[in-house]
Amino acid sequence: MGSDVVEGPKGAPSRDSRGEVAVELRRALAGLRDDIRTRFPAERGETEPAVDLERLWDGARRRIGTLGMSEHSAEVDEFGMDDEVLRRVAPVLDFLLERYWRVALRGLENLPLSGPCLLVANRAGLVPYDGLMLAHALAREVPDAPRPRFLVADAGMRWPFVGATLAQLGGVRARPENAERLLASGRSLIAFPEGASGSAKAWRDRYRLQPFAHAGAIGLAHASGVPIVPVGIVGAEEAHPLMAKLEGPGRRVGLPFVPVTPTFPLLGVLGLLPLPSKWVIRIGEPFSLEHLEAGADEHVPSGANEALRARIEALVKRALADRESTWT
Amino acid sequence: MTGLRTFLGRQLVPRLLRRNPALRIVGFDQRRPPGLDTRVVFHPIDLTEPGAQAELAERLASEGVEVLVHAAFRTDASAQLEFDRALETDGSLRVIDACVEARVTRFVLASSTMLYGPWPDNPNFLTEAHPLRGHPGAHAVANRIEVESLLADCAERTPDLEVTVLRSCWVLGPTFDDRVSRFLAQPVVPKLLGYDPLLQFIHEDDYLNAFERAAMESHPGVFNIVGRGVLPFATLLRLGDKRPLPLPSRLLYRMAYYPGPRRTGDPPTAFYDYLRHLWVADGARGWEEFGEPLYSTREAWVEFVSARRMRRAG
Repeated sequence: MGSDVVEGPKGAPSRDSRGEVAVELRRALAGLRDDIRTRFPAERGETEPAVDLERLWDGARRRIGTLGMSEHSAEVDEFGMDDEVLRRVAPVLDFLLERYWRVALRGLENLPLSGPCLLVANRAGLVPYDGLMLAHALAREVPDAPRPRFLVADAGMRWPFVGATLAQLGGVRARPENAERLLASGRSLIAFPEGASGSAKAWRDRYRLQPFAHAGAIGLAHASGVPIVPVGIVGAEEAHPLMAKLEGPGRRVGLPFVPVTPTFPLLGVLGLLPLPSKWVIRIGEPFSLEHLEAGADEHVPSGANEALRARIEALVKRALADRESTWT
Repeated sequence: MTGLRTFLGRQLVPRLLRRNPALRIVGFDQRRPPGLDTRVVFHPIDLTEPGAQAELAERLASEGVEVLVHAAFRTDASAQLEFDRALETDGSLRVIDACVEARVTRFVLASSTMLYGPWPDNPNFLTEAHPLRGHPGAHAVANRIEVESLLADCAERTPDLEVTVLRSCWVLGPTFDDRVSRFLAQPVVPKLLGYDPLLQFIHEDDYLNAFERAAMESHPGVFNIVGRGVLPFATLLRLGDKRPLPLPSRLLYRMAYYPGPRRTGDPPTAFYDYLRHLWVADGARGWEEFGEPLYSTREAWVEFVSARRMRRAG
């Protein structure tokens, strides 16, 4: 391929035919433009042509060449987080944080001053905006620390597009091995121990915490020697108010259920947009692990999980009290 | 050494002889590979034959073989499922038993991190302790999982036999050639729409180096042999100046049923699922044992791409 084309410095591999075609085409376009200029001289002085064919072609070529992949950087971290993508979407995240959901972040003083911590939060809303928002808010507040990562249920990472995108934005699939590795490398972690059932809460249960599906958080933090910081998030549940779950049609498209919200499926794809609810994120005081030191290394008493759950629920209540109304 | 005609056999033997001219190498394969070093004692043997075990044991004993590197596996799975099974599973069992009989002291098995299998619930880094779940459609992977468990059983029964299992990820390099590298060498690479898994590679030099050290030194245990770093599939393609061809999975699978000579007898998911879900292995133990790899995943990929491009340009 292209071996008969001798161009460029001696000894260098000849450019492949695609490059040749591109050069040829550009030359042809430039010729065409000059041709048009000489044949139809501009009447009122020299003006730039409205459409620069050459630039248009260049842009189109670049678009096609990368086919939507142009927004990727060449390096990702070991969990697939892409700093370049994050830098690009930061304005969008800022907008969501400041304008759309007007997230009020309370209790920052409770965050440990240094070192990683395990943030344990309530899960609500169908789309994991809450993890993303909390991670982004913390990354803005504490810019020196490594960006906190949020755990995403397996189901979320399994879906096409969603999984790949979440990984770029800092999502990590919720496996104990992953959590251990992240904490050991000094990165804070946001966990939602309610698991998938947390995101499928009915409307009337929205501020209540489901029993922990993943009870490993406490043992994990204990083993890794990092503090547990409970977090209450209010607002994500109203972004996608879940009115009903249609399990039959859901199974046919490979989802656990098809959600019914006030806007979906009524408004079609538009209904998937989250509603602009007012969010409050309240960070609580670190959850003491002291009573665990008394011997139980492996076995975590279930009371500890219950206590943690109660702490988060209390934080949610306080956050609710902070908020004057759902939408303003 | 078994499987002299595989990549490992062709490359490892000259490499060992170059570093250790006094080394005595006994090679086994179905046929004599062309251009085999004259210092290698070659015995033709067909591992699919039931009599191979006794024959192999006799040879091993008479030559006084101390270390056996078992690499008699197909580079690419073929459509002949039964032959593959006879060679890889039954053949390996014969080799293992022959080694026990002939009191070989060390057994080095060439394995693969593909044995962990691509699963959506894999952790981001699979350690050596992770169960080998394979892929329901990939018969070659299933064969080799069986080999590993046979070997583990055998090692338990015979404490005298030191066992080293090297699980390598996909190997890339200027000369290594298999189905995966041919797939990745295409200028337009099909990918699953909406999936962008992290991948890792090992450069062929680092791969050979690990086997050389496993053959010459004592490194009992199971090790992941992988390069440092991971890259998403889409980024790899972009680095290699290749066009991704994103296709919905159903369409891709349907197309993949008709690739003509590349048929493997497996459903297409057996390959494409490795480009769909994570199966990145944690190489920390391997790096500690066999030294830091010279090439990272990224460097291995870049070297592979440029070597292939040179070859294409003639």
